[in-house]
Amino acid sequence: MERYGVGYLEERKLVKRWPQPMPAIVALVLTLAVFYVTWWIFQDSRGWMRMYTPYVGYMYTRWWLIMLIWMVYIFNYWPFKRSWLENSHPLYKGAILTAISVGILVILIKGFFEGLLGNLGLAYFNPGRLLELPGVTEFFAIEYAALACLMFAAIASWLSPAWVVACEEAPWQNMSQPAKGISILVMTFFLSTMIYFMTMHSHMGILYYPWQYFTSIAPPYWERFADTVSGNFHVSWIMCATVTVWIVETIWERFPFKLIKTTWLRRVTAFFGIIAIAWALHFFLYFAQELTWGQAIRGTRRDFAPDWRWLHVGEMAVFFLVPALFITFYCGNWPKRFSLPTNVLVRTLITAVAAILLYYFYYATSHYFLGTQKGFSHPQQFPMIPTIWLINIWLAHHWFMDNWPGWKMVPKTADEIAADHAEEEARLAEVRWNPTLGWGLGVGAVCGVVIYFIILAVLPWAYESITIIH
Amino acid sequence: MSENKSTINRREFFKGAAMGALGGSVLAMGVYSYSPWRKAQFSPVKRKMADIGACKYVKITNISETSWFNNADLMNDIKGAGGLLVDQYLYNWPPFGDGTGLGKGSYEKGIAKIKHLLPNDVDEAWDITEKLSVHPENAGGYACLIEMEEMNGKQHKYLLDSGWSYKWTHECFKREGIDEMLKNREIEALFISHEHFDHYWGIPVTFKYDPNIPVYIPDTFYPEGLQYLKDSGHTGEVIKVKPGLKPIVPGFATYVFAIPIICRVYGEQSMYFNIKDRGLVSVTGCCHQSIIQFAETAYQEIKYENDELYGVYGGLHVSPFEDWDPKYDDLVLSLGKYDFKKIGCNHCTGIVCAKKFAAAGYPIVKGTARYRSKEDVYLGNGDRIGFGIDV
Repeated sequence: MERYGVGYLEERKLVKRWPQPMPAIVALVLTLAVFYVTWWIFQDSRGWMRMYTPYVGYMYTRWWLIMLIWMVYIFNYWPFKRSWLENSHPLYKGAILTAISVGILVILIKGFFEGLLGNLGLAYFNPGRLLELPGVTEFFAIEYAALACLMFAAIASWLSPAWVVACEEAPWQNMSQPAKGISILVMTFFLSTMIYFMTMHSHMGILYYPWQYFTSIAPPYWERFADTVSGNFHVSWIMCATVTVWIVETIWERFPFKLIKTTWLRRVTAFFGIIAIAWALHFFLYFAQELTWGQAIRGTRRDFAPDWRWLHVGEMAVFFLVPALFITFYCGNWPKRFSLPTNVLVRTLITAVAAILLYYFYYATSHYFLGTQKGFSHPQQFPMIPTIWLINIWLAHHWFMDNWPGWKMVPKTADEIAADHAEEEARLAEVRWNPTLGWGLGVGAVCGVVIYFIILAVLPWAYESITIIH
Repeated sequence: MSENKSTINRREFFKGAAMGALGGSVLAMGVYSYSPWRKAQFSPVKRKMADIGACKYVKITNISETSWFNNADLMNDIKGAGGLLVDQYLYNWPPFGDGTGLGKGSYEKGIAKIKHLLPNDVDEAWDITEKLSVHPENAGGYACLIEMEEMNGKQHKYLLDSGWSYKWTHECFKREGIDEMLKNREIEALFISHEHFDHYWGIPVTFKYDPNIPVYIPDTFYPEGLQYLKDSGHTGEVIKVKPGLKPIVPGFATYVFAIPIICRVYGEQSMYFNIKDRGLVSVTGCCHQSIIQFAETAYQEIKYENDELYGVYGGLHVSPFEDWDPKYDDLVLSLGKYDFKKIGCNHCTGIVCAKKFAAAGYPIVKGTARYRSKEDVYLGNGDRIGFGIDV
């Protein structure tokens, strides 16, 4: 029976053509070159298509990410056969699969959101409908519609991978493609729609004058808690959830949830555990801004506005995702020499340091080469666009092109696959409860809390000592 | 054997410690970071209470608040050129039109067509640029005349901004008698709030009548903006105001905010007037920093009468393109707690916002909707407002 790409990512062996770090450097240089050329073509305000308006470019960037996830994680490369995936040249495969992802993207945006939903359901998904409102210009009609699609995308980009990573495709994991993909797609799209209505629809409802009291909850229920009526409050934690899903999937190797042996409990804990970690990150990154810039002031704009601070939480979170993916895709999830929890901790620390450096680098220099403007809170400053654009290129490179040219894809033999499974079992068996581990756990937990408070104490001083934007 | 056991124990301990450290830090982040306890980490605001003196009154004449006349044309230009990040000198808007079309212009090519006519022949320069630019008929501009009196009776006149279209600015200057005031050297200085086209590009009209007038600009101007001062025929002093407070005369100070603004502009200069027995009045060009940030900055930086925020005049930059966003509602919902007594907003505040302010019961001063101002919901072209004086 044809397996398409089921298990393809786990069952492929990426063989380095040269010793490290050469393949990683080649991959980085190559993908950055592709990033910059495509950025200039599609996004840059000085370039060709100038989609960074910003919402149009952002919306396509975000949905393209989801298209890649759908194709690989949900549909397992269906309808492409396993032999085609294993035998096609990475360039050819990459071109075909990327073109298809873009094709589906355009059909989804133009056909489903603007055409179907925008004409038969919610007018604000269709720029043409919005133009009928008195006083709305074409520019903002397009921006508002793109914003609505974008907010939907934020939710879908969390739930689509979460159903695979946390819920392990249940209950359709044994179904063949495309039935499995369609089932998961329908489920995650349904959940995304529900969460969209509960988190983002009210934002759109008060976007128009007067407030649309009879079609959305206005003012939104989160107003007092979040200190804003803006839906950015939800964008923030949902973005954190997206980042957490991928951190759990990559540098955490689904730890700690995979230690839970009971299947249903593992899946439920993973799904809600990811949300819990995301909320912790969501609160912490907001607090970090309060400690460095001062408390937010409701009603103001830019870097003191609560709505922008929440948005910036999401922006800060995505800086963590970039190094995490790089470590997994191009550094073989280094290090692997320690126990699973220690490896996870070391990778997390490396990711955190790299994220801080990337944050610094982005705000200090990006206005020189991305066509953006310097400053943290410029209304058109959306670091999520270039970072997710780069991530998309990495996903296409890693999933569609097998890291070519630094690596060569060789299918694993049955023995190698069995050895992988045995190794994984052994690694999990190694993490077992014993008194020494319990002592370590307790001491580590105390250390974690102490480190947290040390970070709180250091943050204001560190920010005062460093000038990011000159 | 015992060495082996100790290695295993150490490994087990670190394994647990690694898990504990991750769990403990995540737990602390989740429990403490947004809790009421976190507020213990914030130090109370230390008010600097800088003394800028006090003045008797300030009176403002709205020379022009209509920066452009057709929102759709402006936004279509912005959309066509690539959005709100595009450098304003590239749009091919007047007076820097070079005939190459939308989004293909440059300061150098544009100014070369008219430089020889500046500042004396601004009408002729506009005739030339009209033929080379995108939507020249849409250009208006923002400018206002500020009159104030010190406690010792000394009176001052200043200009805040100088519009955009030479033609429109010239017409407005004549309507309000600004041309004669400049010619007679009654106006002491031109303050430029920021480098945006609609506030700054009309400077040759001011220099036509007084090329020697001192000009205060934020020190965050881009090279093209600095060069334009020279190319416009300005011969007077240029004072580049650094971010922060700059006292001008007793009762009057400006404040530069280092903030990024759309169309590649950076920094905005706004004004504080401390009116005797009334309180603080804020006068702004666009107030990109937001009126609440402006008020909070005043609270932290300066001492003012009765510790009260008394009034506001100018653009409040809420919905300049009549767009909307829920974050603007945060402003509408929050402005009340600052208890301004008199709000003379216009320009980039946006008509929808002014209506929402009025509906919320804020003391918005209505206008007369003359000289192409669209509605009387806020102060329009030719309207006046006084703080500490009736007009």
